[in-house]
Amino acid sequence: MAVPVIFNTIEQSGISVWLRESQSIFGFYFILLFHTFGMSLVVGANMVVDLRILGVASKIPLQPLKRLFGIMWAGFGLNAVTGVLLLTAYPTKELTNPDFYLKLTFIGLAVYTMRKMSIEVFGDASMSEAAMIAKGKMMAGWSLFFWFSAVCCGRLLSETSRYFIYGHPAGG
Amino acid sequence: MNYAHLHLLLNHIPVIGTLIALGLFLVSFFGKSNEDLRRTSYILFATIALFTIPTFMTGFASQSMVKGPGVDDLVRRHESSALLSVWFMLITGTLALVGLWKSQTTKNLPRWNVIAVLIFSLLSVVLISRTSNTGGDIRHPELRPPNTLTVTEGTFGTIINKFEPDPDKFSAVVTFSKWWWTFMMAMHFIGLIMIIGSVGLFDIRIMGFLKQIPVAPLHRLLPWGMLGLAVNILTGLLAFASRPDGYIYSIAIWIKMLGLMLLGLNAAAFYLTDIFENVENLKAGDDAAISAKLVAASSLILWFGVIAMGRYIQPLVDTLLSTN
Repeated sequence: MAVPVIFNTIEQSGISVWLRESQSIFGFYFILLFHTFGMSLVVGANMVVDLRILGVASKIPLQPLKRLFGIMWAGFGLNAVTGVLLLTAYPTKELTNPDFYLKLTFIGLAVYTMRKMSIEVFGDASMSEAAMIAKGKMMAGWSLFFWFSAVCCGRLLSETSRYFIYGHPAGG
Repeated sequence: MNYAHLHLLLNHIPVIGTLIALGLFLVSFFGKSNEDLRRTSYILFATIALFTIPTFMTGFASQSMVKGPGVDDLVRRHESSALLSVWFMLITGTLALVGLWKSQTTKNLPRWNVIAVLIFSLLSVVLISRTSNTGGDIRHPELRPPNTLTVTEGTFGTIINKFEPDPDKFSAVVTFSKWWWTFMMAMHFIGLIMIIGSVGLFDIRIMGFLKQIPVAPLHRLLPWGMLGLAVNILTGLLAFASRPDGYIYSIAIWIKMLGLMLLGLNAAAFYLTDIFENVENLKAGDDAAISAKLVAASSLILWFGVIAMGRYIQPLVDTLLSTN
């Protein structure tokens, strides 16, 4: 299947060239750094809620952890913005890589689970902790699995890419 | 100052420090069991384990300064020894931290833990002495047989040498597959997530946010952060030792290590002063003292700094190439 020409068009745009080639400290690696920060916020905060629901540090009151969803959404927002910028820098590299779509799938499932948990487990302030845990246990387990998988897929991107940029196969 | 200077400065910490810590630990067994002395030795073991990391790394970094005709075998011998002793030093420090954690609410350190620390600290002293000895052979010809550039292993050295990994084989095992390498790096990311999630949340609470949560239960999350740190030290050292040239010329890795040492100092300030005592029983709605908030803020800033430097290792990969 031929690589869509639109990828080359994006790569030739001013912003894409700047992101890839700029020597500025605010260039590619700066954006990648904030992508890492966003990941540690969204997955880190989600991990704490998931582990608590699964029984770790059971003396932590559950309802106040609802505040962590704000941190999770902030982290996700940061990753969405930085993710679009990173994609703008290397559209061919990512959009021709099946692993990229796998990563997005796992992120989608993790974020869906995160939203479902915030509504069904933490949405009713009058629900008892036992009821919250009963409702959230399965979601917490899947959440951990989806985020772990998303992180692993993210790390695999550099090893599974078929192209570096348009017209230049990876490793060639 | 170059890497060799740094290595010679730092290597005294694991070599002499472990002897001192072991000495205090053994004295604590005599007469009436002295828990305070034992805990002090545990703190020393943990501190020394932390300093073993930059000692190990500066050793790799200074190789190019000492390698040459005749000494390559001696350098290799020292490297093999270090590749074994570093893990025992880290295990001893980890066991010490586990013991301190488990004994927060009890009068005595757990018996199983005391036995384990005894075994591993004794092994650590033996192995680090060997590492120190093999290091001394590199630049002290007066220690070798006259007019030779080789050292004949004694009985003791021959036995230990059987367990010391060959540096090239070690590197080959760690880098045998790009998938294994990628898995290690993925685990490094999982480790950092565990740290930010647990330690980060605790720091945020101490700083005055999420006050609906009492502090003591949040503190119970810290072992997950320490597990994440252990995963990161393991994967980080494996990556470094197998491909040192990819790291040693990047200023970012050294700033990252400095950040880790400062985090150790920060933790010491938190636990060894009255700061922890004053915050551990804070209930929902209570505010921590300003000193605790400063320590918590420092912790958060340093952890994000360590992450940042980790990300910048690659783009700054040859920033120190011309200076060493």
